[in-house]
Amino acid sequence: MTSPETTDCHVLVIGAGGAGVRAAVEASRYGETVLLSKAIAGKGGCTPMAEGGYNAAIRSQDSVEAHLRETIESGAFLNDPILAGTLVRNAPERLRDLLRRGAVFDVTENGEVAQRYFGGQKYPRTCYAGDRTGHEIMTTLMEWLRTTPVRVFHETSAIALLKDGDAATGALALDRSGGLLLFRADSVILAAGGGAKIYASSTNSASGTGEGYALGYGAGAELIDMEMVQFHPTGAVHPPDAKGRLITEAARGEGGILLNRLGERFMVRYDPVRMELAPRDVLSRAIVTEIREGRGTANGGVHLDVSRLGPAVIEERLPVMLEQCLRFGVDIRREPVEVAPAAHHVMGGLRIDPLTCQTTVEGLYACGETAGGVHGANRLGGNALAETQVFGAIAGEAAGKSKPRASSIPEKQVERERRRLDAFRTGKANPYALLKRLHEIMGEGAGIFRNETGLKKALLEIDRISRERLRAAVPRNLADCCSVRNACTTAILVCRAALLRGESRGAHMRTDADAPRNEERSLFGHTFLSLSREGIERRDRP
Amino acid sequence: MKTIRLTVSRFDPELDDGPRLESYTVDINEGARVLDALQAVRDDIDATLSYRRSCSVGQCGSCAVRVNGRPVMACKEEATDGMVVEPLRLPVEKDLVTDLAPLLKSVASFAPRGESTAPGRAETESIKPLRHCIQCFSCVSVCPMLDVAEFAGPTAMRQKMRLALDPRDARDRIPEAVEAGLFHCTSCQACRIACPEEIATPALAIEKLRALAVERGFTFPKHLEFARLVRETGRSISFPGPRFLECVPEVVEPETAARCTVALFTGCLYDLVMPETAFDAVEVMRRNGIRVVVPKDQVCCGSPLIRTGQTDLVAGLMEKNIGIFARLGVDAVITICAGCGTTLKNDYDTPFEVLDITQLLVRQGIESPARLPVRVTYHDPCHLLRGQGVREEPRELIRQAAELVEMPAWCCGSGGGVRAAFPEEAKALALKRREEIEKTRADAVISVCPFCEFHLREHAGRRVQNICTLLLKGYRKKDRRESH
Repeated sequence: MTSPETTDCHVLVIGAGGAGVRAAVEASRYGETVLLSKAIAGKGGCTPMAEGGYNAAIRSQDSVEAHLRETIESGAFLNDPILAGTLVRNAPERLRDLLRRGAVFDVTENGEVAQRYFGGQKYPRTCYAGDRTGHEIMTTLMEWLRTTPVRVFHETSAIALLKDGDAATGALALDRSGGLLLFRADSVILAAGGGAKIYASSTNSASGTGEGYALGYGAGAELIDMEMVQFHPTGAVHPPDAKGRLITEAARGEGGILLNRLGERFMVRYDPVRMELAPRDVLSRAIVTEIREGRGTANGGVHLDVSRLGPAVIEERLPVMLEQCLRFGVDIRREPVEVAPAAHHVMGGLRIDPLTCQTTVEGLYACGETAGGVHGANRLGGNALAETQVFGAIAGEAAGKSKPRASSIPEKQVERERRRLDAFRTGKANPYALLKRLHEIMGEGAGIFRNETGLKKALLEIDRISRERLRAAVPRNLADCCSVRNACTTAILVCRAALLRGESRGAHMRTDADAPRNEERSLFGHTFLSLSREGIERRDRP
Repeated sequence: MKTIRLTVSRFDPELDDGPRLESYTVDINEGARVLDALQAVRDDIDATLSYRRSCSVGQCGSCAVRVNGRPVMACKEEATDGMVVEPLRLPVEKDLVTDLAPLLKSVASFAPRGESTAPGRAETESIKPLRHCIQCFSCVSVCPMLDVAEFAGPTAMRQKMRLALDPRDARDRIPEAVEAGLFHCTSCQACRIACPEEIATPALAIEKLRALAVERGFTFPKHLEFARLVRETGRSISFPGPRFLECVPEVVEPETAARCTVALFTGCLYDLVMPETAFDAVEVMRRNGIRVVVPKDQVCCGSPLIRTGQTDLVAGLMEKNIGIFARLGVDAVITICAGCGTTLKNDYDTPFEVLDITQLLVRQGIESPARLPVRVTYHDPCHLLRGQGVREEPRELIRQAAELVEMPAWCCGSGGGVRAAFPEEAKALALKRREEIEKTRADAVISVCPFCEFHLREHAGRRVQNICTLLLKGYRKKDRRESH
């Protein structure tokens, strides 16, 4: 059997969102860098979709200490303090990198980068480019990338990491025709984004099936806090195919209110002080409770009403929301839009060294949503874009500076992957239908409210569907089969981690939890999962 | 749920010689988009169907396709029964997936000077509209110039302007833009109409880059000639022979009581080069009870200068024209040249209503002409179809006089100063129109723009006629019939 087409490099970056491209441009300063992107680089992932902004303490009236405090409070004190500290300290300088490279942020009258309020923060430190900050950052990064010698492989899906002993040594991937490619590298950076697409209603792009988690787990790396899934409270509910489409937090920031079927402004019963500006997890739990107790709307949501703002304000400040809702037959100037929580962001991920972003596998790095620990149990809006830049740069530098490693083609691993792919050619199960069944299982057993019975049942069902042999009708569909398998792996990690954490914390709510919630004094640290061990850290014991 | 039938272009270069159309029947949800229908085909019927998608909410630009001939984002466009889904008009890799690699490389990158401050408020606001591009390349797929010239294309030009506006960018983008074919754009507006982000590339990028280029001395003798003539004569061209404005009366009264009163904006071409067409237009209006006022001191609308970056004289022309027409107190100002029409409607800020003659005639309702025994096709002037959004009125009028056969709407090649600067390319586009015209087997081509008429007359290989001339023929036939 001939070797697959092989490409050699110093740093291999898997994932071309904000973190991956930032890592690639950084690594390319030190050696040959290759970037793999499942979609056309620059178009995939959630970075280009981000509407909120980029948090950075850049004004003298603000401080990194305040930013850190709010990040950790939001994270229910589960954040790794060094990672969180690194995020807030480096965010301003990484913003300046983007400005140096031509980023066009909104500016104030006196030419400073404009900032606005965003959830959970007392100081307006969210820098923004209209309601398309993610697109702005991605556009800037892609132009930067084109000035470097980084070799970009578009529409190329990594399907397995390769190891040489205990160290990562590259990856196998499928090109867009289903051909097998081998990438050998001195180090590998996983920046493949998140996994919210394991849920039926999700704000994510098509690639959010947890590739990074599955690839890292399969290579023996440890993951932390995989139970921590943030549900954005206001995802679209109707029409059915638009389910999960993000309806911006700005709608509430501008004064929009939430009403149940009976016209009650129900947040008064859940968080009377902050009301619609309560943290995302509080809102999501409130909305789901309203729906479950029979006060939801016809299509299974609640009403988000901005009509009180008046048409002029809506047209000026919420143009994207107005246009998107009109496209689906709702004029938010006159009527409310139905919303319900949608899976949005995974706070957990690969455990990384806070100074280098190296995972527990030598030579394997992770950054962006694929890495865990920065956000703890609940992420602040505006911190994710900052995370991509801060840790993308750190991972790129660390991987770039890593020593060259001589390694041979791991024939056995290649053979194993070939067999796996061959099995897809003769499989029976429709991968797209299987993903839908995974959605049903996760929604039923691992949603916003969890309990032991439900989680165990979900695990059994996912295990059962994972045994079905997926079918790739043509070689082009092999990558989809691999993605669906990775989605199942990610879902299993989420359920296992949810079982490991018996307490409720931040975004993770166990209805069968023993003790009342007290996040700052919780005795528990990270949940951890790897091929060799699992558990939950205790803060009272070393 | 509902059931729809859709037809999709399928092409696998490893198996097929060329694309073919295949029809599928699928069940979709209420409110489903084209993308959802494609997904239903892929999930339930044919897993070999290839298409691109990523964000599914119109932000990433991955899923641009043609639906019923028009570029759209598959995730934004509603799925309809009977729809035909094809790839963008670009090289196809498979099915609906096009080869974007060369296009991604064609857009220039920011060249940092090194400072990390943001541009000022004014620069930022001017750059922002140009920044919305999601690189879906719909604009490139509809640009007629890319078929016949060395032209970098709409989004590449948009990027040049974005960079030219940014004080932090280290390179001189103007000579680059000229080199990349800046003056090849005909201003047809196909790019603006196709753009899901509604970026007005011709007005915001092409025209503004041309203005910067002209300031730097990058221009054409023929373009400079327009400006010289406007400065000296008030008209952008010179032509021997009697002028329409010299021969037409100040006011043309209809035979019966006037239903309305309009003022006629003639434009340079009908005034100097094709006065007979202007007379035909006046006659059609007069016949239909419309009083026509023709101010003799009107001047060039300024369009040839605006489109070629020579903006110095334009404010003066605007002031003069608005002054002349505003004091007439008419119901509307009528343009018979589509270029004048789009300029008066979109570049000027007029206190009076401006209508194309076809809009006026349909609004007023015309006397039915006799039907003529000809088969005609209609060439949409870009400045009327896209510049003014007028599509149905000319067709309604033509159908009253003759059998109308449709052809796809593409630029004839004469706009934007291209006929003057690049006659070979203008001709190449006209010859493409000729191909389309020949497919219709029409006896004549009808249009309603002097640039299109003039240019197609040279290259179309058959009779090219203005709508008013056609209607008048119908009236004359009717009159002859009735007098027997």
